[in-house]
Amino acid sequence: MARVNAGHRILVVDDESESAIVRAVRRRLEEEGWDTPVIQPESGRSLGEEFEAATLWSIEQELPDAVLLDVRFGEHRDDQFRGLGILGEIIERWPKLPILMFTQYAQGPDRETAVRGSLKWDAQVDFIDKLASPDEVVLRLRRLIGTSPEAIPIGNQILVDVNSRLVYVGAGDDREAALEIQGMKFEIFRELAVTWYRSPGELVAFGRLERYSEGEDPRASLRVRIREIKDVIGKALNTRFGPSELIINIRDQGYRLVPPKS
Amino acid sequence: MNRFLKPIKVCGAIIALVGLILLVLAPLIGESVFDSLWAIEPFSYIGGALLIFGLGALAWTFAWIEWSLRKKPSNAMSSQNGGHSWSETTLQYFQLFDHDLGRPLRRIAGKERELRAVIQSNPGTIEPGVIDLLDEIERQTPNFRLMMSNIQILIQLESPENEDALQPVEPNEVVRRIADRYTSVAAEAGKEITWWSEPSELGLVYANTNAIEHIVTNLVDNAVRFASTHVEVKLTKNPTHFFVRVWDDGPGIGAQYVQHLFDRGWTPEVVRREEKSSSGLGLFIARSLARQSGGDLTVESDDREDGDHHTAFLLSLPSNISAHVNSVR
Repeated sequence: MARVNAGHRILVVDDESESAIVRAVRRRLEEEGWDTPVIQPESGRSLGEEFEAATLWSIEQELPDAVLLDVRFGEHRDDQFRGLGILGEIIERWPKLPILMFTQYAQGPDRETAVRGSLKWDAQVDFIDKLASPDEVVLRLRRLIGTSPEAIPIGNQILVDVNSRLVYVGAGDDREAALEIQGMKFEIFRELAVTWYRSPGELVAFGRLERYSEGEDPRASLRVRIREIKDVIGKALNTRFGPSELIINIRDQGYRLVPPKS
Repeated sequence: MNRFLKPIKVCGAIIALVGLILLVLAPLIGESVFDSLWAIEPFSYIGGALLIFGLGALAWTFAWIEWSLRKKPSNAMSSQNGGHSWSETTLQYFQLFDHDLGRPLRRIAGKERELRAVIQSNPGTIEPGVIDLLDEIERQTPNFRLMMSNIQILIQLESPENEDALQPVEPNEVVRRIADRYTSVAAEAGKEITWWSEPSELGLVYANTNAIEHIVTNLVDNAVRFASTHVEVKLTKNPTHFFVRVWDDGPGIGAQYVQHLFDRGWTPEVVRREEKSSSGLGLFIARSLARQSGGDLTVESDDREDGDHHTAFLLSLPSNISAHVNSVR
């Protein structure tokens, strides 16, 4: 079975990397299956300059999939926006590397300065508040990195294995492949799972799902397939999913995945 | 216009000074150049003219500032102060304060998250009060972020230098981020947030990113607070505008109160004479920002207990696409 998010590496550049708030984020990233190397510069030079050099060197060595970068390094006036300088350097050398600025300056004039001054429009850069929940950081990084994982866990009891095109149901050693969910049904469930993985509240419009349906009335056919998916997973979990569970229809606009409560 | 005032003032002062020097030195210059007393006159005239012109320019700049302040009484606090307006200085102080206040709050939130992780990895007998405390800290964190942001935006709104900066924005991405932030908050309270756009990819618009994010955050924050179970956010567009509709299935607002919703400092508790649960600034700021950006924010609500009670806010903003295309050409 594929590993969830195998191989992603997020370089953490923050002078407060040992603070509780950064540790909580790193813990959540590691739960996600990501490596989180941290920049630990040698002492001797001024703090900001040292971080700048160490960051660029580390990117060259570690080849991370994304960088989580602070803006303010230490209390020295020159280092107040040192992170924006580092950001400019990274964009100059690795224009396609996703960077998430992890800062309390996620809004307001400083972000605008950074966006206008140092960023190209197509740069993969985003800003997030340091008080954001670790889940929010993970969601933002998932979208910045952009690639879909090989396996998507939906709650504790459902796993979509994208490589083998199978849906596994059950917990721990009791987990088994739901072989009835194949072909078009698998594609429908995969589409719902990928959207939920990147943006949990986002609805998948009928238009995107109807291409996996057939017949004269694709919407009716879609409805039947969704019902069948819910029945198969429900049977494996010894439950029956109602209209407002697992896959829900919103205002006849489309469907959305809701992980079952464990 | 204001940005030209300083150079005009400086030029006026220099010209007046040159005129004054010329006037005083006219006898000396005239005599040394033409070696006769009658030659003094042209230099006196030139010096006098320069002095009058320079003083005139200075007087005009002061009159213009005075007139501008009278024209915008709400901005009267923006008197000049060492090259920074009152609002710029306030904003700088506020950002320092925000940073200083942010540090202990980050520590509290960090410790709370660490403690929660420990509890999750060693589930045992935990006092329910401890979990309540952790939940409360996590619930209040987005409130704090919104409060700080509200104050910053309010200062910027009341600044006379405040100008709309149009940037390319994807409204879908803005709503996606806000949904990220509030999904877990809503889930903890047993509520759901769903969002979508028609068409499914709305594309780019040209707008003030901070303004959109701020307005929609305020609307979603309110909706999550008052919803019974569901919050829906829907994005649509027409050729000139884009729209964000934030709907919740909460108890609704009585028709007699709807008109006060956007008043500065008004909250439902004001009517009930209870302690205010918020500053009542959020919707006031949201509507001011929307109107400043050339759009509007309206509300529609139904509070019938036996009916389809709900509240829906509709934000409309210009997409500025044609304006941007013309400026590029």
